[in-house]
Amino acid sequence: MDIFSMGSHLLFLLFLAIPLSVLLLLAFLVRPRPVRIPLKGRHVLVTGGSSGIGLALARAAADEGARISILARDAGRLASAVGAIRVATGVEAVALSADVRDPAAVADALSGAGPVDILICNQGVYVPQELEAQDLEVIKFTVDVNLMGTFHLIKAILPAMKRRARETGVPASIAIMSSQAGQVGVYGYTAYSASKFALRGLAEALQHEVIADNIHLSLIFPSDTQTPGFAEEKKRRPELTNLIAESSVGMKPEDVAKIALNGIKNGDFFVPCNFEGAVLAIATSGLSPQRSYLMAFLEVFGAGLVRFIVLCFQWNWFNTIEKWHAKKNSKLHKSN
Amino acid sequence: MSISYSPYSLFLYRIDLHLFSMASQLFFLLFLAIPPVVLLLLLAFLVRPRPVRIPLKGRHVLVTGGSSGIGLALATAAAADGARVSILARDAGRLAGAVDAIRLATGVEAVALSADVRDPAAVADALASAGPVDVLICNQGVFVPQELETQDLEEIKFMVDVNLMGTFHLIKAALPAMKRRTRETGMPASIAIMSSQGGQVGVYGYTAYSASKFALRGLAEALQHEVIADNIHLSLIFPSDTETPGFAEEKKKRPELTNLIAESSGGMKADDVAKIALNGIKHGAFFIPCNFEGTMLSIATCGLSPQRSYLMAFVEVFGAGLMRFVALCFQWNWFNTIEKWHAKKNRC
Repeated sequence: MDIFSMGSHLLFLLFLAIPLSVLLLLAFLVRPRPVRIPLKGRHVLVTGGSSGIGLALARAAADEGARISILARDAGRLASAVGAIRVATGVEAVALSADVRDPAAVADALSGAGPVDILICNQGVYVPQELEAQDLEVIKFTVDVNLMGTFHLIKAILPAMKRRARETGVPASIAIMSSQAGQVGVYGYTAYSASKFALRGLAEALQHEVIADNIHLSLIFPSDTQTPGFAEEKKRRPELTNLIAESSVGMKPEDVAKIALNGIKNGDFFVPCNFEGAVLAIATSGLSPQRSYLMAFLEVFGAGLVRFIVLCFQWNWFNTIEKWHAKKNSKLHKSN
Repeated sequence: MSISYSPYSLFLYRIDLHLFSMASQLFFLLFLAIPPVVLLLLLAFLVRPRPVRIPLKGRHVLVTGGSSGIGLALATAAAADGARVSILARDAGRLAGAVDAIRLATGVEAVALSADVRDPAAVADALASAGPVDVLICNQGVFVPQELETQDLEEIKFMVDVNLMGTFHLIKAALPAMKRRTRETGMPASIAIMSSQGGQVGVYGYTAYSASKFALRGLAEALQHEVIADNIHLSLIFPSDTETPGFAEEKKKRPELTNLIAESSGGMKADDVAKIALNGIKHGAFFIPCNFEGTMLSIATCGLSPQRSYLMAFVEVFGAGLMRFVALCFQWNWFNTIEKWHAKKNRC
């Protein structure tokens, strides 16, 4: 065997050995440890549960044998949702009517519902508009519902959830609905992205505080989903938001719900709902915890390439913005 | 068996060696040297927004939370750079003290604006009286570290209102005049937002604070898209622990586990943080870390943030994977610390 082939063999082994040793090291390192969170016979509470992804989540959880409560503002829509869940699964969901912006109302509604095993904070509002043009009332509305509402819900269920997890020895979950807008802020989404980014900071810190109580945080990151909320939002989007966000047809809520529940059962901290979401999740892994050593491996070895792709996206977005403004200005000049 | 070294076989052997060294040099060029150079050139072409220089001399810098700590240091440093300085805070007495300090240090007469950032009307009034702003530094912030379960909702609301809603109020109030000003002068303006390591990672005791600081990043990423055409540039400043009255207050109230995890180092001086922050603002850098640790965190959390510097972009692309590995080591350490602490507590 000559030096050249020895050298190339060595290099090849090194090429294999480094990733393999990183994989083994990660299998040892990843925290928190993997967990399985069962749904059968347990109490799942879904907020914003009377329509869209929330209703789909409630139905999917009922399908898995969970006891369901859904929380929303409108009693009429809640009643229809309970009917829909009954028809689809035979399960009698409990309807809780409250505005998540009101901590007292939330506490009241939840005191009657009993201890929660899986809390899915899914309520959310989104009004895409340029910050300069958007009313402060709308911004406050977005932050109050999406962020403060989640604080209210968690504060209300946490003591009973901790007691329950201690008594039963079975892990519990606090799952929070985020969005691609919670992974990147784009034109028109100052308030919405602010509220969704905030939920990540909350979740990262809260996981540290409740891991010893066997409670596990999950952030769900769906792409565009075919819901009434999304249809509403698309009508009002600024033109540039449409050009940048490149809205696809969107996933079906049932599919999003299925994937989300799966991630919740695995205690995944990030739960992306499609390939695009998974790439975004790797790009934004930051200092988030990671239970899966395989996912961790992908993050470590994919982060660089993904960052490069991201820079290409920002190049594209800023070009789009530049061109749009240039076109608008030339139209202005033409009309003068 | 003896190997014969005929002249011919020696000749072939030398060609083999020659080919081997050519091949390894080729390998080196193809896989190790050229790709990084090509990547660097590619990134130099790709990075957006384009680089910018934002001058401070003779321009209006407004610093909120400017009567103490990092804010006061920022105002003083900006004044030293020749800027016209306004400082906004709640307490008129502390504002007066700050104006004196700035005058003493730089000879510049700063304008004091008294307002609570939580009140949009008061903020609008203050900004109207201050006149158009060229560099808005949203530095106001409150932080009360405590477990979410025991923290009062009032305190959570306080942090979100001051840190997040206050910033919305300030930007809404300053934006129209800022846009008019950049259009008239043709000079770039800046909206700089004070974040924190708590805005890069959420740790024990920081649910409300991290929520408010993470939110500012979402705001900034989206806002940059909206105001780039107006020649306004967003910056997020990420200091580590800094020796300020606010920090001294916070350390007293920290839960024990927060201290164990946050491993509070010595802390930087406010003046040093201010100097680095202003430098970053002048370059329109989207992320402004203030020390080595902060730079590592910035690379780890670069996510989908924009990057103007192709050198920094290069470091991000090549460093992101290693940083993620380091981040996972940190989480391993933190969750172990939490586990041990609870085990000790349960034994007692």
